[in-house]
Amino acid sequence: MDEMIVIGGGSFLLGSPPWVLRWLAESDQPLPPDWFGDETPQVARDLAPYRIDRHPVTVAAFAEFVRATGYVTEAESRGFGMLYQHGWTECEGVSWCAPAGPGSVGHADHPVVNVSWNDATAYARWVGKRLPTEPEWEYAARGAGFRLWPWGNDWSPGKANTAEYHGGTMTTLADWKNWWATVHNRYGAISMTTPVGAFSPAGDSVFGCVDMAGNVYEWTATTSDLYAATARYEPSMLPAIGNYRVIRGGSWMNFRYQVRCSERMHGDPLGWSNFSLGFRCAQDA
Amino acid sequence: MVTVVVPSVWTADRRSSFHVEEGPLFEVLKRFVAQHPECRDRVVGPDGEPLMFMNVCVDDRLVPRQDRAATVVPAGSTVILISPIAGG
Repeated sequence: MDEMIVIGGGSFLLGSPPWVLRWLAESDQPLPPDWFGDETPQVARDLAPYRIDRHPVTVAAFAEFVRATGYVTEAESRGFGMLYQHGWTECEGVSWCAPAGPGSVGHADHPVVNVSWNDATAYARWVGKRLPTEPEWEYAARGAGFRLWPWGNDWSPGKANTAEYHGGTMTTLADWKNWWATVHNRYGAISMTTPVGAFSPAGDSVFGCVDMAGNVYEWTATTSDLYAATARYEPSMLPAIGNYRVIRGGSWMNFRYQVRCSERMHGDPLGWSNFSLGFRCAQDA
Repeated sequence: MVTVVVPSVWTADRRSSFHVEEGPLFEVLKRFVAQHPECRDRVVGPDGEPLMFMNVCVDDRLVPRQDRAATVVPAGSTVILISPIAGG
């Protein structure tokens, strides 16, 4: 379960080319172009050879870490974690081993969730690895040539664990809220992760990495920053720059547009986690 | 007055910048949601108190949650609200 993929070094253009922002603006999705501005302009990056986990770290692997070290996650220390109910809510007893709160169980072959950046970093160090950098993550997801999703440029809801896999095509926030209300009313605030590799090989990246689109958001080692001073970005993003850590891959909560290989999100590294956020590890080759 | 900046996707017209009377941070936030109720559930809980997981930046400084109750926002300042997972 701890298989790693060896990726030879290379040069590539990190981020999205201009046509992607035009495509997003013309697509039936609810977010304005500047919302995606932080993934532009493309910038050249050189990568030394590295290894990256084929799949996100599982509950079983994280449990082994906890058993061996006695590690207590930050959600456990605080006594609460975050679930999405009718909005994001801090809920007592939510943790990596109880992803939906007391009484829920983390399935061994699913990605571990409710892990903070510090938790992920501690695990990675214990196994002799580290978190991938943002360029390493994106290169592993799409290779040197640009593509929207790990398998190519044609969306297919059956190739990744997204909200559209569970609930059909969604184009508005209202669609999403209706779908989630149905799920929540029936099951409560469950984490709708799937076993790692459940969408393999159809959803694999060019290098054979699985779950690079959807399933769980993934922490990277990289501190949030703009690719260039000329980037147009959402003004409310300013506090993330220099403070947050880049998160990649989108999750089961997202539409197709948020699980693109070049999509960026940014997460607070100071103890925060939620029920759709996990990670995978990397290592110098 | 204080400038309050929120994600543009919170508002139907994609507006992200607002002006609110200065004062204690929590009062500023409550005034903001009173003036812009479409943002209410993003900023305060059912009890009307600010959601503590929502990060608050005052003049380029992220205010730790334990310091927020004692923070006063002077006129001319900018308050930015940012979720712990931002963008996307």
